[in-house]
Parts: sequence; C-alpha cells; structure tokens
Amino acid sequence: MSQLKLPPITDDPRFLDMSYEEQGAVEEERRNLDSLPVEERKIAIDYWNEVKSDFRFNEYLRGCLNCGVCTSACPAAKFYDFGPREMIQYMMRDEADKIYEFVNKKVWACVQCYTCSMRCPFNNEIAGLIMVLREYAVKMGLKSAKEILAPYRRILYVVMTTGNQVTPNMIQPETFPDWGPQAVEEATNMDLYRKAVPVDLLQRSDIGWHASLQTAVELMTIMIESGVLDSIKNVDQDLYDMIMDIYDERSQQLREIKEKYEKGELNEDELPDSWLDL
Amino acid sequence: MMSQEEKKIEEQIKDSLPYADQVDWEEVYQRVIYRYSTPHGVQHIKEELERLEDRGELIVHHIKPHNQPVEYQTINGQPKKIPTTRLWHHKSCGQCGHIPGYPTSVFWIMNKLETDYVDEPHQTSCTGWNYHASGASNPVALAGVFARNFWRSYEIDYYPLIHCGTSFGHYKEIRNMLVLHKEIREKLRPIMRKLDMDIVVPEEIVHYSEWMFVKSKEAARERKYDLSSVKAAVHTPCHVYKLVPDDTIYDPSVFQGRRPAAPTGTVINMGAKIVDYSTWWDCCGFGFRHILTEREFTRSFALFKKVIPAVEEGHADVFVTSDTGCVTTLDKSQWAGKAHGLNYNLPVLSDAQFVAMAMGADPYMIGQIHWHATNVEGFLRGIGVPVNEYKEKFNQYLQDLKEGKAESKYLYKPHRKIDYYLTLPDRVQWLKGGK
Ligand code: SF4
Ligand code: SF4
Repeated sequence: MSQLKLPPITDDPRFLDMSYEEQGAVEEERRNLDSLPVEERKIAIDYWNEVKSDFRFNEYLRGCLNCGVCTSACPAAKFYDFGPREMIQYMMRDEADKIYEFVNKKVWACVQCYTCSMRCPFNNEIAGLIMVLREYAVKMGLKSAKEILAPYRRILYVVMTTGNQVTPNMIQPETFPDWGPQAVEEATNMDLYRKAVPVDLLQRSDIGWHASLQTAVELMTIMIESGVLDSIKNVDQDLYDMIMDIYDERSQQLREIKEKYEKGELNEDELPDSWLDL
Repeated sequence: MMSQEEKKIEEQIKDSLPYADQVDWEEVYQRVIYRYSTPHGVQHIKEELERLEDRGELIVHHIKPHNQPVEYQTINGQPKKIPTTRLWHHKSCGQCGHIPGYPTSVFWIMNKLETDYVDEPHQTSCTGWNYHASGASNPVALAGVFARNFWRSYEIDYYPLIHCGTSFGHYKEIRNMLVLHKEIREKLRPIMRKLDMDIVVPEEIVHYSEWMFVKSKEAARERKYDLSSVKAAVHTPCHVYKLVPDDTIYDPSVFQGRRPAAPTGTVINMGAKIVDYSTWWDCCGFGFRHILTEREFTRSFALFKKVIPAVEEGHADVFVTSDTGCVTTLDKSQWAGKAHGLNYNLPVLSDAQFVAMAMGADPYMIGQIHWHATNVEGFLRGIGVPVNEYKEKFNQYLQDLKEGKAESKYLYKPHRKIDYYLTLPDRVQWLKGGK
C-alpha cells in the first residue's frame, strides 16, 4: 500500500468517526477492511457484494439522516449492543468490514418488530434490510448463522417438512420451566388435552394442525425448487440430508396413493389414520 | 384518427423528450410513485395488480358479492374491503400449537353469527415465523408458500382470512413484492406449474381481527355478560400495522382514527373500557427467535415494557391483543417475574377469546383457557362467568375421553380420512353436508 500523507488526527468530536479506532482520512480500501483479519477480507467483500446486488437492497435503502429515530424506538437496542442506525450508516458508507462484523454478531439481536421501518423519515425498510443480511448469512454459511441456527434445528426441520413452525409437544417441562406450572401440566398430559380441542385438525401433539400429505409434499417442493434447502445445506449438512430423504419417501407415498385413487382402487379404510405415523 | 391538435402535441412531446418512445413509461411511473407517494402507500400496488391481471400475469382472487364485503378506510384514507362471509381459514401455527382456544373461538363466533367458512388440512403456515427468526428462506420460497395457500382457497372460492398477525403483515409484503417484481414472478411460475397451480393473489389481504372488528357490534348483541366495569389494555400487534402500514383499517371511533381499529374497536364495541398506557405502541418482545432460544430478553421486555405499564399506569384488568406471538409472549412472560418479586398476573386474551367468552362460550371447551399461564379464570369470575361449573364439566369430559367413555366434540364436521392425504375437488361439497 502506498504511503499517503495523512492530515493530523483531530480531537474535535465533530470530525471523529466513532466506528473506527483510527481517526483521520484513510484511503478507502484500507478503511473498508482494516479491522478484519486478512483471511476474512474476501468473504466480507463477497458477502457485501451479494447483499448489494439483491433486488431489494436499493428499494429498501433510500438514504439516512443519521437522526437515530430508528434506534430510539428499537426494543433490541434497549437490551443488546445493537442499533439499526449503526447498520444503515455502514450501508450508506459502503463499509464492508463493519457490515461483516455487524452480521457476525449483532444482526441476530433484532426482534423484527418493524418499529424502525415505520418511524424512519427516509422511509428506509430497515427491518427488511436486516432480513436481507440474515438471509445471505445463511445462504453463504457464515459462522454466525451456523451458531444461531444450531439450537433452532428441530424447528427448521418441522417447518421444512410439515409447514408448521411449532408443535404443541415442544413445550417440555425441562425446556420451558419459565412458562410456569400450567405449561408443565399441559406438557405432561398433552395428548389428552389435545383430544379435547374441538377441531379434528388440532388434535395431535406433534403438529399445530394436521396438514395433508399432499400439502406437505407441495411445501417441500417449493422449498427445494426455490433454493432454501441449498442454503440449509451450507449451514447444516445433516439436516439437509434428513429433509431430502423424507422428501423422497413422502413424494413416493403420495404418488402411489394418487395413482390408486385415480384408478379407483384406493380403499380409504386401509390408509393409516395419519400419514405422520408412517 | 388523430386530430390536428393531438398530432401537434405528439410532435411537441418528441421535440422536448427525444427519447420518449424508447422509455418504458410504466416502469418510470412505478418507480416515481413507489419512491414519492404517501409513505408506505399501497394504492399503486393495487393499480398494478389490476394491470397484471389484465395481462394474464397472475390470477386475482376477487372479493365477490357472496362474500358480503364492507368497506373501511386505511390510515391514508384508501378504501379496504373486508369480506364477512364465505371465508377460508388461514390458521396460525403458533395459535393452533400453543393457544388452541384462539382459533376455536374464531370458529365458535362464526358458527354463532352464521358465517360460512371452510377450514381444511390443505394449508401450511406462512413460514414467516421461521423466516423472521432464522433467515433460512428466500423471496421466491416465501412467495411460493403464499401462492400455494391462496391457490387452495381460490380453487374452492372461499376468501382467505388470515389468523396470524405475522402472516398478515408478511403476506402484505409478499403481495407487494410479487406485484412489483417481475423477476420473482418469473422464478415462481415454473414452480407453481410443477404443482399444477398458478400465481394467485387475493384482491385484499385481510386479518381476522379486521373481520372481528367489523362484526363486533353484531357480536355484542349476543353478549351474555356485562363488561362495562372491565378495564382493558390493548396491545396492537406490530406486524399488523407496522408492516405495510397503509393496509390496515382505521376507524374514527378508535382514538379518532389515530390508532388501528382492531382490536381496540372490538373491545370498545363489546362494552369494555379501554385504558391507555405509555408504551401502547411498543413491541411485545416476541422476537421470533427470542421467544424460543433467547427468552431472557422476551420475558424482560414483555414484563417491563408492556405488562407493568399496563397495570401501573392503566390499572388494567385484562390485556387484549390480536396476534399469535403477542398472546404467547404477554401470557407466558409473567410467571418468571415472581423470582424477582414482580408478582404480576395480568390475564392475557386474544380479542377472539375475549369476544367468544363474553358471548357465553365455554371457557374450557371453546376458550381453552387452561393453556394460558395468567389468571384468566379470575378475570372471568369477575364478569360473572360460572367458572367452577364449567371447570367441573370439562374435567369430567377429560376423564371420560381418557377412559374412552366420551367421543371428542367438534365445532364443525371432522374431515374424511382421505382429506388428510389428497386435496380432492369434492372436499367442500362433502364438508358442507354432502355424503
Ligand atoms: S425491527 Fe429490529 S431494528 Fe427495527 S426497531 Fe425492531 S428490533 Fe429494532
Ligand atoms: S430513522 Fe432513518 S434516517 Fe434516521 S438514523 Fe434511522 S435509518 Fe437513518
């Protein structure tokens, strides 16, 4: 890197950029990467370029007054070292390294309430930009995405294979003790309580409502064809393999049942009560 | 034939804008209004939706006279049609999973008000909870889930009513994206073809709480208990009015039209008193990922920023809200506060449960209040519901179910076994009383 003559460092806070340790004018390439270890610089740049080329990026980022209205209303900012203004500023200044650092930790603090988006005088779709960052973190298999998704595995599995996000029986006394004694009581007698819900679709404990086999296969087809499973593969290969196996099995079952039905050979009574038990 | 004058205008346009015939004016128009229209406006999206329908680029599921729609206004004064009957339930995974009394109350009210509806196993969740929590999805997938669900309601001509606040907000956003971005439609179309479907977009995206508000005066006429002494704090769910803000109904009777009509208006129409608190606009703390894997945030936020202000400032007897995550968060976050001497036990109910039980619905069979962590029983006793009698009856029912002495009771006819496997064209006919 060529040696530049830099102006003396100012101690006037109006000229300080608080996001950098080193103050004063620094050439752009260095400034935009200088806080990262060398081996991460390429990933950071690739990541940032991917984000910027997404069709939503320009639509969602329109400008910034640096007013902080977004952060002042942000629930996550009240509890975490996180704020949307900071993120928008990095984006406005094209700071690949800062964005990369932000994604590796802070971006997951946001609770997606969209308060910032509604308040921003520039109409930035801030919460949407956060989603774009998260999406690409998963798609590119960044470390933070892997860490964040590890405890979330079972839920991803349920969503990808049934289209329901949560199941009644995930509320177990040891995992949700903070929900109080009532939740424990439901958990220990779950099947019975579910049977007493007066809608047949809601009577199982392993799924929110009982979707049809065809619906589950259609959903999995959408997830596979649109590339969601490819993203999951980058963060969790085992989960990917498991979901793909299930897809093969279930689409086979569906094909057989459909064929029989079309030929008029299907005897409904012979079907198991639920395909979920197959 | 062009008149002399028109020709002259044409020439003048050519003179002043030499590139006029090379410009895609529609695109310019879209860009200009998207950027400079009323903040968060949706009028141009609705106009574009019509154009796309004319060009055959997508199918619009229209609200028809048999849906008996009524018209309300959004915050910028744009009309929004709310269908009131012949509805297709787009259920919520979190409601069905953890607050089953929420959807059952909606069904029960619909039965009472003689509303025609279909609830079927051919629906998935919007997958928005997963998306906002993990980022493990993408625009085409989200649009695919949207179009697949709405195809199912379109093919049987029952209008979709969205139960979950997140699904509602999220679908509004997906609708905008599908309408404004050709590349998403082009990527989605082959996937839909593979499923023997096409891209369907409903004319309006409607939340059940909007329906509930529209029907609340009618519901109030069937009210069984007097609510005039009830002080209710309302939490309006973020995803209902902060996501695509110009597509939620407002009404002059609710804070002079300065806060969303639902669910506050519903509570007012049922005869309860609304109490205000300074953080009414704040999030509940749900956080999608947080409620599952980072609950120390959720609990603290719900308690300090919502429950405590509602009780200390508003002296609320009950917290009413209209979304899956908010009911769960506000209800389940209070118990742990006891460890710190914060003994709050403010009952939390969805607007649907609140209305149904005021209309005399069984708090256990229909309201399913035993799934709640807060003191809902105490609240019901306060308005005169004979809770103990209901409880005894329900416990007996549970016992009988366990011993095989009772059959499950249903709010509508259970589905055939085949409906759990295939999506058959005769399903509605059968459900509506055929063989
Ligand atoms: S959406 Fe995220 S960044 Fe925006 S206010 Fe809510 S928590 Fe903060
Ligand atoms: S509210 Fe908008 S303009 Fe103000 S700091 Fe946040 S992003 Fe920038």
